[in-house]
Amino acid sequence: MLVRAVGLQKSYRDAEGPIPVLTGVDLETKPGEFVAIVGSSGSGKSTLLNVLGLLEHADAGDLWFDDVRVSHLSRRAQARVRGSRIGYVFQAFLLISTMTALDNVLMAARYLGRDRRVALDEANRLMTRLGVAHRTGHYPAQLSGGEQQRVAYCRAVLNQPPLVLADEPTGSVDDEHARVILEELHALARQRKTSVILVTHRPEPAAEADRVLRLRDGKLVRA
Amino acid sequence: MRDRQLPVRLRALLPKGYLFTVLGIAVGVAGLVTLGAMAERIGRFIEGGDRFVLGQISVAGEGMGMGAGFTAGGLLRAAKIAEISRVPGVAAVQPQVMLPLRTSTSQFLTLTQELVMGADMNVPMPNRNYQVLPVRTGRFLQPGDRGVAVAGNDFAASRGLRVGGTLTVDGATFKVVGILDKTLTAPDRFAFVSIDDARDLWLRRDPLLVQVFGAGNLSRADLNSGAAVGWRPGEDPDALARRIQSTIGGLNVTIPGELSRLLRESTAFFSALLFGVGVLGLVIGGLSLSNTVTAAVFERIRDFGIKRALGATDLQLLREVLGEALGVSLSGGAVGVALALAIGFLVDARSNGQQIFLFSWRLLIFTLVFALILGALAACYATLRIVRLSPAEAIRRGT
Repeated sequence: MLVRAVGLQKSYRDAEGPIPVLTGVDLETKPGEFVAIVGSSGSGKSTLLNVLGLLEHADAGDLWFDDVRVSHLSRRAQARVRGSRIGYVFQAFLLISTMTALDNVLMAARYLGRDRRVALDEANRLMTRLGVAHRTGHYPAQLSGGEQQRVAYCRAVLNQPPLVLADEPTGSVDDEHARVILEELHALARQRKTSVILVTHRPEPAAEADRVLRLRDGKLVRA
Repeated sequence: MRDRQLPVRLRALLPKGYLFTVLGIAVGVAGLVTLGAMAERIGRFIEGGDRFVLGQISVAGEGMGMGAGFTAGGLLRAAKIAEISRVPGVAAVQPQVMLPLRTSTSQFLTLTQELVMGADMNVPMPNRNYQVLPVRTGRFLQPGDRGVAVAGNDFAASRGLRVGGTLTVDGATFKVVGILDKTLTAPDRFAFVSIDDARDLWLRRDPLLVQVFGAGNLSRADLNSGAAVGWRPGEDPDALARRIQSTIGGLNVTIPGELSRLLRESTAFFSALLFGVGVLGLVIGGLSLSNTVTAAVFERIRDFGIKRALGATDLQLLREVLGEALGVSLSGGAVGVALALAIGFLVDARSNGQQIFLFSWRLLIFTLVFALILGALAACYATLRIVRLSPAEAIRRGT
């Protein structure tokens, strides 16, 4: 197993007390598996993805990567896992506005301490393949939504992580760009044996997944 | 690759969106520097006065005083000066005439009053700390000079005096032969003339003195408002001053040590003001700077969340933020210093020859170091606050 989550729980607090979001999520994914998690808006899909991606802590439960229990690692060690093992594609792209497209992509390699020249070659190849090579020197505000998402995708896969988490990756782009991103994610799973976990509230992106799960009442069930 | 990186690195020093941060810091730093420069100016003035009184024993005749300046007291006649010079330990006695330039305002703002100072140039300047006054252009007074004047820096600036020009005092015209460099203390507001010229001025403006002089009881050499007494090497000036006082009657002798203490006491208000101004400058400038840097870091909380999602460790982020904070603080500090210098020069230029600000190197260096340290501390504080959040929470808060 690449990822194994057991009994993940997460709740948020408001003035009236805790609001449970995840009430015991169990999940296992194999290398090269494309898993789609569907659910209505507000069902906790993004929260689940954040917990799986070590972007926030679960209140309870355990998370393993390659049989290493990562949910209880130190902050520094978790940062290393995020940088080397996980790639994120967010619905809102989350590019840094003061950096060029190329620097946004290279940022992933920088924190991992990779050789800059090697990373630059790979970034250029990736951006060329995704059709944004002519935009390397542009800032996010100068790019269309589709271009921003492709740049964000390049950033997510530059370090060739074994796990890619995609949070509504097609939610903010038109159909043509959505198709490109989805094809890339599927190719990643097929060719590089990358595990892809995609969350979406729409049925189309989930259609070609190896497995479709539904988040209902804070738990994952087969769709 | 290298070509591509250069602009990026430059931007990293002053990243996009940091303009207002730099300006915010600049305003705080400018406040700190201008207040500090005022404090430096007052401090230098007091320090200069203190050095002066510790460099000589000032003697005047007994009585209420007819002149002005450092030698408060009555007329000091030539016979008394001769007696003083015979006291063991005395190296030199220089007769002097100090007169307020404007009699009507002589008692106001004594720290900055303008004086006409007549000194007997046949005797070398006995003040150990001011044996030679720095001349910017022209020359200083020489023995035998008549009808010439050497103007202090502020005195000259306020009147637009130049070497070769003329200065008129109470109807008497003097040719300006020298302009002094800035001393940042009393001589900046002096006009130096020969002692004989000063005696003439004194007679011209004081009818009582004319009557006494006309009665034949006084010679010109008796017309001294005081004298500066120098001591031989190894002599204790305070002990010598007391010896002069006890040996010769009818004198007002200032004890250098006591006068220094009195000067410090009388300027205690200015010292307190100086301290207050300095503290105020530090507080205003410091708060402004740290608040601006902290706010700038918090504004980018989303970016930090993204970077942590991409694998940045706390240390990597801290290093990055520190680098940016130092760059921004240094830029803001430099702009602030330039702003303060511009304000200072503009205000001084419109202050009728008075220098209100003193931008010393130590002030400017201290300010830049202070800005860097405070900027770094503020950046560290803000970063440590941010890394305590989960990356997801940082992204949420910044979106």
